[in-house]
Amino acid sequence: MSACPDAPWGGARHPVFVTSSNFGVGNLFAYRRFGNRSHLEYGTPDACVAFIAGELGWGGNVTILSHACVSANLGLTLAARQIAAGIADEALVFTFDFLSPFVAGGFHALKILNSESPAPYQVRDVSAIGLGDGAAFAVLRKPSRGWMIAGQTMHNEMHHFTAFPSGGGGFAACIDPLVRLASGRRLWIKGHGTGTLEAGRLEAEAFRRACPASPLVGWKGSLGHTLGSNGLVELAVALESLGSGRIPGTVGSAAPTFSEMVSLDPIFDSTYDGVICASNAFGGAHAALLLCHA
Amino acid sequence: MLERFVSCVGTDDAGAGEPAAIRARLRGVFAPAFGRRATILGLLIGGVLREALEGDCDAIVYGSTFGETRTLADFLDSFPHPSPTLFQTSVHPSPVQQVMIDRQQPVREYIPLAGRRCLAARVLLTALLCPADRVVLCGGEEHGSWLSDFRMGSDRSFAFAMVLGRSRDASTQGRLRLEPIGETAPEPSGGEQGAMSLSEFFDLLHARRDYKGPVSAEWRLEVEWS
Repeated sequence: MSACPDAPWGGARHPVFVTSSNFGVGNLFAYRRFGNRSHLEYGTPDACVAFIAGELGWGGNVTILSHACVSANLGLTLAARQIAAGIADEALVFTFDFLSPFVAGGFHALKILNSESPAPYQVRDVSAIGLGDGAAFAVLRKPSRGWMIAGQTMHNEMHHFTAFPSGGGGFAACIDPLVRLASGRRLWIKGHGTGTLEAGRLEAEAFRRACPASPLVGWKGSLGHTLGSNGLVELAVALESLGSGRIPGTVGSAAPTFSEMVSLDPIFDSTYDGVICASNAFGGAHAALLLCHA
Repeated sequence: MLERFVSCVGTDDAGAGEPAAIRARLRGVFAPAFGRRATILGLLIGGVLREALEGDCDAIVYGSTFGETRTLADFLDSFPHPSPTLFQTSVHPSPVQQVMIDRQQPVREYIPLAGRRCLAARVLLTALLCPADRVVLCGGEEHGSWLSDFRMGSDRSFAFAMVLGRSRDASTQGRLRLEPIGETAPEPSGGEQGAMSLSEFFDLLHARRDYKGPVSAEWRLEVEWS
């Protein structure tokens, strides 16, 4: 957070949105295992965020969001709404998730943890999610010039905690409005690419139908799945990629891919003027945003 | 000023009731499988959401300070053989997801919030800023587990749900308004004046009590029942 611009964060017109999937829940496990009560100071979302707010000198205007792996996207959405409504001058979105036995044990129990990450995804049928620590922040203000978040969408399938309905209609329901919004722009796509075969197949198919001419990349083979923070961590990489014209490829994967639009190699092209970034989570939760020139 | 009209209000004050009693009381409300499998907080939330979910629903805003404390405690104690079911139902958004998955009812926006001191203000502002015409606002807590002994779990169980619409109609039961108090110097986190917890907001709803006053340092709430 040393790079975060100075502002009265947490004041009436400078709200802060803190998002995470797990906050300090790993500390509860540590307390239960070792009995050291100091761990309890960070055990709830509120206690964990209060500690961070105290360290960073924020005021009390702090909203805490937790929606598994679309948590950061929700923070960006709510921040944008407060700015659009004229309630906030600027908004700070801060997100983090770190690995703990809670997370690793949970994904292991679901039999979807790739314990050999970053070994390539395609060599295993289901145990494919490589986890990673992540933290990022974004300062949002009214667009004037440069890159802006032109639109954000969500869709929650509510079909199953960890499975998608056949056809993957939730992916399309989330991304299609953004594709329409981006009409006329030259786009590339940063998919969620969680690593499981079924999710990858459905996501690639939804983007193939919606915008077949746009290259699709996924970065969790490199960064790991940074859980609730992935939407903002990967947005930061996407922003840098747009600015530099150097887009990382789909690290840790190999042919054959689910769709010809999947780019395994980096893309060197500065003529793109927009990217759609997508994230998914438990419960068939989808969130996406369109990043493009103001 | 932000304003919405309230309909379909449901509240359940389960106090410090034992989980078995809550499950037994609500079991008949749901299909047998859900009544057996759902968490206590899932049952409480599901019970108050039933009427609110009967109409169109484009957005659900959910607030809970502690969330699934019982399931979380059970999951942590399931190590070294962690339970997959307890893992996915222990996460913060789980109670509403359990209900909606049981109903196989998709929803465009689902926004789960946490926090303590000003959680009422946060969920209200989030709901009132939703672009959807019809927003379901719900929340709740469950008492119990060793976490409550350390004030890391709620001292009471409760749940509420209501539908917020843009205009007054025959189903309107009340009105919510949020007014900004105005720019003030940021108070240190934790020292917020006029903060209303989710539990206090629940009490307002449960008693259908009018209210006009601050809910955070930034917002004044007006609740007016018809």
